[in-house]
Amino acid sequence: MVKEIEVEPVTRLEGHGGLRVVLGDDGKVQDVQFNITSTRFFEKFLEGRYCEHIPRITPRICGICPIPHHIAPTKAVEDAWGVQIPTPAKKLRQLLINAKQYSSHALHFYALAAPDFLLGPMADPALRNVVHVINKMPDVGAMALKMMDFGQKLCATIGGKSIHPISAIVGGMKKPMDESARDLFLKQIGDQVEWSKKTVEIGLKVVEDYWDVVANVGVVPTYYAGMTNNGVHDIYEGDIRIVSPTGEKFDYAPQKYLDALGEHIPEHSYATHMYYKPAGYPEGIYRANTLAMINAADKMATPLADEALQAMRAKLGTNVPHHTFAYHWARLIELVESIEMIATLLQDPDIVNPDCKTLDVQPREADGVGLVEAPRGLLLYHIFSDAEGICKKANLLVATNHNIAGIEKTLMHVAKQVFEDKALDGLKLPDPWIK
Amino acid sequence: MAVKVAFMQLSDCWGCHQSLLNLHLGLLPVLPALEIVYWPAVVDFKHDSLKAREDGSILVGFIEGSIRTNEDYDNVQLMRKKCALIIAFGSCSCYGNVHGLANQWSKDEAVRRKFSEVESIADGSGGEPTQHTPGFREKIVPVDEVTNVDVYIAGCPPKPEQIVSAVVFLLGQKPFPMNDLAFCNDCSIKNDCLLDKGTICFGPITSIGCSLKCTSDGKPCVGCFGPAKTVDSRADRLNNMVKSLSSISSGDKKNVYEFLTLFLNVPLMAGFDLAGDILKQIKKRGAPETPLANLPPTTTDIAGSLMGFLRDNPNFTEISNVCDTCPRIIGSKSTMTRVKRDYEGLPNMDDCLIEQGYICMGPVTRAGCGGLCIKVNTPCSGCYGQTEWGVNQAERFADTVLKGFNVSLSKQELLAQVKDPIGTFEKFTLASRKGGV
Repeated sequence: MVKEIEVEPVTRLEGHGGLRVVLGDDGKVQDVQFNITSTRFFEKFLEGRYCEHIPRITPRICGICPIPHHIAPTKAVEDAWGVQIPTPAKKLRQLLINAKQYSSHALHFYALAAPDFLLGPMADPALRNVVHVINKMPDVGAMALKMMDFGQKLCATIGGKSIHPISAIVGGMKKPMDESARDLFLKQIGDQVEWSKKTVEIGLKVVEDYWDVVANVGVVPTYYAGMTNNGVHDIYEGDIRIVSPTGEKFDYAPQKYLDALGEHIPEHSYATHMYYKPAGYPEGIYRANTLAMINAADKMATPLADEALQAMRAKLGTNVPHHTFAYHWARLIELVESIEMIATLLQDPDIVNPDCKTLDVQPREADGVGLVEAPRGLLLYHIFSDAEGICKKANLLVATNHNIAGIEKTLMHVAKQVFEDKALDGLKLPDPWIK
Repeated sequence: MAVKVAFMQLSDCWGCHQSLLNLHLGLLPVLPALEIVYWPAVVDFKHDSLKAREDGSILVGFIEGSIRTNEDYDNVQLMRKKCALIIAFGSCSCYGNVHGLANQWSKDEAVRRKFSEVESIADGSGGEPTQHTPGFREKIVPVDEVTNVDVYIAGCPPKPEQIVSAVVFLLGQKPFPMNDLAFCNDCSIKNDCLLDKGTICFGPITSIGCSLKCTSDGKPCVGCFGPAKTVDSRADRLNNMVKSLSSISSGDKKNVYEFLTLFLNVPLMAGFDLAGDILKQIKKRGAPETPLANLPPTTTDIAGSLMGFLRDNPNFTEISNVCDTCPRIIGSKSTMTRVKRDYEGLPNMDDCLIEQGYICMGPVTRAGCGGLCIKVNTPCSGCYGQTEWGVNQAERFADTVLKGFNVSLSKQELLAQVKDPIGTFEKFTLASRKGGV
């Protein structure tokens, strides 16, 4: 008899997804589907809008990562209209996007992922959540909350609101940071750096504890799509970099994205399947998000993060690890980079410089591309403007969407490990930290 | 005894939930009061466990998002059945929000663009995915189009303080930390006290403990951390100021408004069910009731004086739009002579943005946000919803600004210069427009 296992919904993520595994009589996995059941047609209703209003609409795509959705379309319109922004505006945006990276990665690690590791995969589902972690490990919980709070408050100070920011405008930023607010954040930076290091220590302990899982479950060779700035990890600007399963690297300017990134419309998901175009579908299915970013980078942009990256590569024995569980590790490397970037930028006088908006902005009929890296993957906006600056059409390739096909491919691999190879049976699991 | 709450997400972005989480350490006193029985993004209960619960057994159901898919529709019905109280949580749920703009097109046109026409589809695939997917409804609608809603918390997202005051009111809990000391103890400009300069600052009666201090920015404390158990010695000065108020500047007006909505935690003032604004409360009951017990006498005195002042002051009768919480000068040295696009120039921080030429939705948008966008030099785009429904919103905007602002354009000229009227005047509320688009 054919057996169908449904997980509805997949929890501890933002969005709407279900998982479906179909097993045949012989116990073989026949099908695995990752069903995404929501979409809202931004690709349609941006038509007819003022191009400069798009960055005020699109943050509503994601309440956890609205900042990249504010910055990327602003850059796309600037690309279309040929606008150069002043250096202070660029630095403010870099600070803003790193503040978001920091709070989002802290949230992801502590609130979404940690319950699995701290309570163990066999724990009571009713308790396997961040609320329980906070109750049982109040010190770690308070530290995590203070990290998220710092990032969100910094976003709110620069962006006007941490959720659905408004201060980026075609031509720059509407307002620099106030010196007094800047000083307040500078005072906290020492603690935040320490807590980031502490978080990496916790992460490394988890890796040691779960080494059998990290090294053996969900090790799936795929392509990867990330962004680098001449090979250096960068979440604000750079080129698309595709990494093949064997480690070859291919760079594409954002405007050339259609040469690299293809979209396949599956029958079973509103989120589409992305693939590396020259390799075709499904062979070219790639993964995005933190491990992809790390695999794309020759090096990190900051010293502590780069040290952490080299340590990870040494431990996993490769520059292109395919270990799905290393996503968390990669996230912590990015977390460290973001707090180092924040520390540097907060000391830069440009962030309080009122010269943060050019007056030389004129609409023109052209299309433009804006690319950033959101906490969960590449984020690309392609906006077509008419001569008056009204949006004729728009194409959006959003972060999690880049990863859907890769997640499904990984789920198929893991389903086979679980149901066919019984790979979980002999797996070494540690005593849970929280019992 | 913790009460059962459920959080449901329809078509939206999860930002309202993130706004609740933005309380961070402020969540710690609230969490023990809640038994979370459904919250997919945070806890591991599956959909079946919600279905299996007894009808009406959950006290409060938060519904975030609007109805785009059949699954959204079914989930609203399920929540209505299982929960005693339904809260429309955020502007998607209340009004439809930005994706309601898709109602300008048919469902099929939207589906075609997304699943067949976009530039990156590259392998000949396409068409609406239909296997194990819920299907789309013809139009996007807010939650109250398909079921009864008990409480509305508007905002995109609602401010965390509003959410928590709504929650704690419903749960009968103490909302704020109520720390022993007043904010003044933590103030970085103690020697340059704002009260000495005649600015109303609520630091002397507000609880210590916030991390981003308004006074460091030169702005007065508006009391969002709630009252302290004891007051600072400066409280008498504040008390004298509010007792001798004869008129009130627009900057102070904003502070008083924020103080009353946040500090007193009167739920009908704190941004949910905005139909009952602060003045209606005062007129109905004489003074708003606060769920906070054992306030220091000076604190009660100050709040009472402000209530009395507002009750007797006719200028406050329409204090329910964003302008009332905006520090900029209306009747400034600037005049709108043509409609400017947002990318043009860079406005100054003092004059009304409308008078500087920009379309700012402040005068026709419900208060509650505290003017966050305006503080970073950006016009209001209306995310808290309109102050009046069932009228032509473009015309209402024009009529309003021609009446009360420096504008030297005729109504026809002003409206003709706005090339995207729906995206400008109904960005968040198109899905709530009755009688179709």
